Amino acid sequence: MFSRILCAAFGLALVLGPSGPAAAHCFVGARFLPATLAIDDPCVADELSLPTIARFDTGDDPSARQLDISAEYSKRITDTFGVSIGRTWTNLSQPAGMRDVSGFQNWETTFKHQFLTDAAHEFVMSAGLSIEWGATGSPDVGAERFSTLTPTVWFGKGFGDLPDNAGVLRAFAVTGQVGYSIPTSSQTVTVDPDSGLLNFEFHPQFWVYGGSLQFSFPYLKSNVIDLGFPDFVNRLIPIVEAQFQTPAANNEGNPSITTGTVNPGVIFVADTFQVGLEAIIPINRASGTGVGAIVQLHLYLDDIFPTTIGRPLFSSTPTPNKPFGG
Amino acid sequence: MHKFFIALVVLLLGSAAAHAHAYLDHANPRVGSTVRTAPRQVTLSFSQKLEPSFSSAQVTDAAGARVDQGARVSGMQINVSVKPLPPGTYRVHWKVLSVDTHTTEGNFTFRVGQ
Repeated sequence: MFSRILCAAFGLALVLGPSGPAAAHCFVGARFLPATLAIDDPCVADELSLPTIARFDTGDDPSARQLDISAEYSKRITDTFGVSIGRTWTNLSQPAGMRDVSGFQNWETTFKHQFLTDAAHEFVMSAGLSIEWGATGSPDVGAERFSTLTPTVWFGKGFGDLPDNAGVLRAFAVTGQVGYSIPTSSQTVTVDPDSGLLNFEFHPQFWVYGGSLQFSFPYLKSNVIDLGFPDFVNRLIPIVEAQFQTPAANNEGNPSITTGTVNPGVIFVADTFQVGLEAIIPINRASGTGVGAIVQLHLYLDDIFPTTIGRPLFSSTPTPNKPFGG
Repeated sequence: MHKFFIALVVLLLGSAAAHAHAYLDHANPRVGSTVRTAPRQVTLSFSQKLEPSFSSAQVTDAAGARVDQGARVSGMQINVSVKPLPPGTYRVHWKVLSVDTHTTEGNFTFRVGQ
């Protein structure tokens, strides 16, 4: 039922026209929402995450130590529609007695439409479709032979529209996403070479969701109160991200348990790039063991190349509007 | 993999000369401050050079009425002349275009007297 609603919302969003011009990277009125590490931010943008490096212990029993090095390039086609493509290289350090393996995960592509941008209320929504292309990666590191489609809705909300007496609370913002992942193959059938019996491995459908709570020192300084902090502090956005997945259907033979991580960290925002660093804390044994870490360098291509590759391919707003209509 | 990092260095070197979004660096009166003496103008200093034709600021009182008498944009700064301000809370609204065509906006309050 929920998946039908989500798919309907996704379809509706794709056919709706843009509600207003989208700023380059994620500006919504006075609010800047940084690119987040564990989940996707709610805007379309010209940007490059290179590299994102994550190290953590998997939820397998016994655990393997996993190192992921990934890159993602995002490109605006229009002011409100963008495409991103990304890939991850994985190294698995296996427990004693098992060989270490390395290889690329499947290619991933996301199509996203930023269909609502409410500057006054610092609210933004997008809808899109993420695709993991099957059989484009190495099975050694878990890349599946089948593709997975994940229609997703993203949102972001800054609290700058709270009354002035809310004080520093106005510097907070939240973002989130909800998606439903659908494998293009429902099961894999193999033959046991010893017994000759058929083995059925089901490919579950999942709810994939998460969010972030962030406190923006840049927003605090520019829109709430300038406390005279050093410039370095005024560029920090402390953040807590969380991302989960819950089996929803076709889960026979698999544990029906929600897995995920909570990632506290901080993002440093420079003029043309940002650097993010977060801990990766698994929510249960099935999600991993110990505390991992993730670090990301993220480049704002719209700032670095504002007149060339940092612009939408087709922009409907070649000339900015006069401020205040003046 | 090394080609990736060569490209990355090129990008970062390019970014050193790039123009970014214009952020409000500081203001006088300061954002969220209380001043004893009413200012005759509000000064906004930004992190990037502004396009004067597409950058401006307004000042309103607690009732939302305009109390500014025009803004002058020069380089990275906007100076907004204001009428004599009685004690109260005032809000500064700004919207600017940096020279690389990126628009940013924001608003903040300051208090006079009290």
